[in-house]
Amino acid sequence: MQVKEFRVPIFDVKGLSFHVGEQTILQNINFQIYNGEYIAIIGPNGGGKTTLIRMLLGLQKPSSGEIRLYGKKLSEFKEWYKIGYVPQRAAHVDANFPATVEDIVNMGRVARRGFFAGMSKEDRVKVEDAMIKMDILDLRERMVGTLSGGQRQRVMIARALASSPEILILDEPNTGVDVVSQQRFYKLLAKLNKEEGITILFITHDIGVIADDIGRLFTINQKATICNDPKKVLSCEEMSELYGIDAHLLHNHKHEH
Amino acid sequence: MEMFEYEFMQRAFIAGILIATLASLSGTFVVLRRYSLISETLAHSALVGVAVGLVAGYNPLWVAVVVAVLSAWLIEYLRSSFALYADAVLSILLSGSLALAVIIVSLGGAFNNSLFSYLFGSILSVSESDLVTIVIFGSISLFLLLLFSKELYFIAYDEEVAQTSGIKVKFLNFLLVTVVAIIIALSIRVVGSLLIGALMVIPTVAALQFRVGFKKTMLLSLVFALFSVVFGMTLSYHFSLPSGATIVLSVIALFVISLLINKK
Repeated sequence: MQVKEFRVPIFDVKGLSFHVGEQTILQNINFQIYNGEYIAIIGPNGGGKTTLIRMLLGLQKPSSGEIRLYGKKLSEFKEWYKIGYVPQRAAHVDANFPATVEDIVNMGRVARRGFFAGMSKEDRVKVEDAMIKMDILDLRERMVGTLSGGQRQRVMIARALASSPEILILDEPNTGVDVVSQQRFYKLLAKLNKEEGITILFITHDIGVIADDIGRLFTINQKATICNDPKKVLSCEEMSELYGIDAHLLHNHKHEH
Repeated sequence: MEMFEYEFMQRAFIAGILIATLASLSGTFVVLRRYSLISETLAHSALVGVAVGLVAGYNPLWVAVVVAVLSAWLIEYLRSSFALYADAVLSILLSGSLALAVIIVSLGGAFNNSLFSYLFGSILSVSESDLVTIVIFGSISLFLLLLFSKELYFIAYDEEVAQTSGIKVKFLNFLLVTVVAIIIALSIRVVGSLLIGALMVIPTVAALQFRVGFKKTMLLSLVFALFSVVFGMTLSYHFSLPSGATIVLSVIALFVISLLINKK
């Protein structure tokens, strides 16, 4: 028996591979994500980032390997409300969908509410709290279809926050969002991580802007490289060779540090 | 109001109001999921049930419910297990069902007025046992829809996000098509199988024109459906027209008005 104390990682990924026919999308990916971490995933398009996220969320089955979530196999994991997921298309909601901002944020509570149960006081508090954090309280009656890309993005994150998640997973959340909103967004993520202790995992192209805040950086292009000190990442010469990450971003970053 | 002196009109109105409620509530989810065509396909499958019932001497409405539910499951199975486009699956089953129904009634020699009333709806034809069937299955369907409405709304908004927050998406998709199949089969007495799709889809589409939140959209859709059924059945009574046709024209009129009021 193991007596030694150890932390159970939120995600424990071992030997994860994904193939489509002959083509290898991901090969032998291994990592752990612990509570309170702030992790960015970068990599070229088609490199398997989104596939990886989808496998972490149980939306896609790996060809081989294992994912454990809070120590459990995905198929046995029940507490999905602990995971807040904001997909890539978040900012592109159907403009005609009949939903106010509040309708959308309320969805964050659905999995936590019982059948027939109306919104409890706790539900209302959490929803309002999430809207305050995302600074969209004054938009609560607005139809989502009438919002800007940046506003919609904050609504989607508020929905995820309303379920009081322990980890937030965001897939290219800045697609279709203007630069000012992007910067505001990164500040918000950093704040959620530091002040609320929410573990954050997100995919981005935009490493230059956030490198000061993130704890670890994963680069994904079929294989994964994990850099524990993102400030040194860009001195990892082999990385740009291996993964072909946008040289422009690398250059900018070097310049800053 | 003399029309309510007739028992058949009382039965028709109770059935119609229940069906309007069920069709519009379930229709909201069906339309938002871009699955409007399923109502047409299931209505034709229900017709197979009617044909079997008429020929074999069983209660056509009961057989219609069973066949429509089986057809809904077949659609879900084909859609999820084969690389087929959802609308193509619906189209194939629609024609297939109609062909089957026509062959069954032709072989059974039951091609008569009775079938005509199932095609276009007839307020004269709602019998007491029909009403009992509609109330029993209708109550179950309404219960299930209300029970899962917040989950179904979430799924309609984003199926994958709903799934990742722990909602049983597969089960609820299955449940929705089952309930829709039951509602459609029940409706064919009053609205007719060729016209029920309209009652399920158009009230919601009209409500969507007002660009309001979820609850208001549902409420508007319900009001539109109720009005169309009551107005349509009244017209049907006074002018001796098939009730399905008058109901559908009423709901289309509401849709056109909604469209014009909310023109950008």
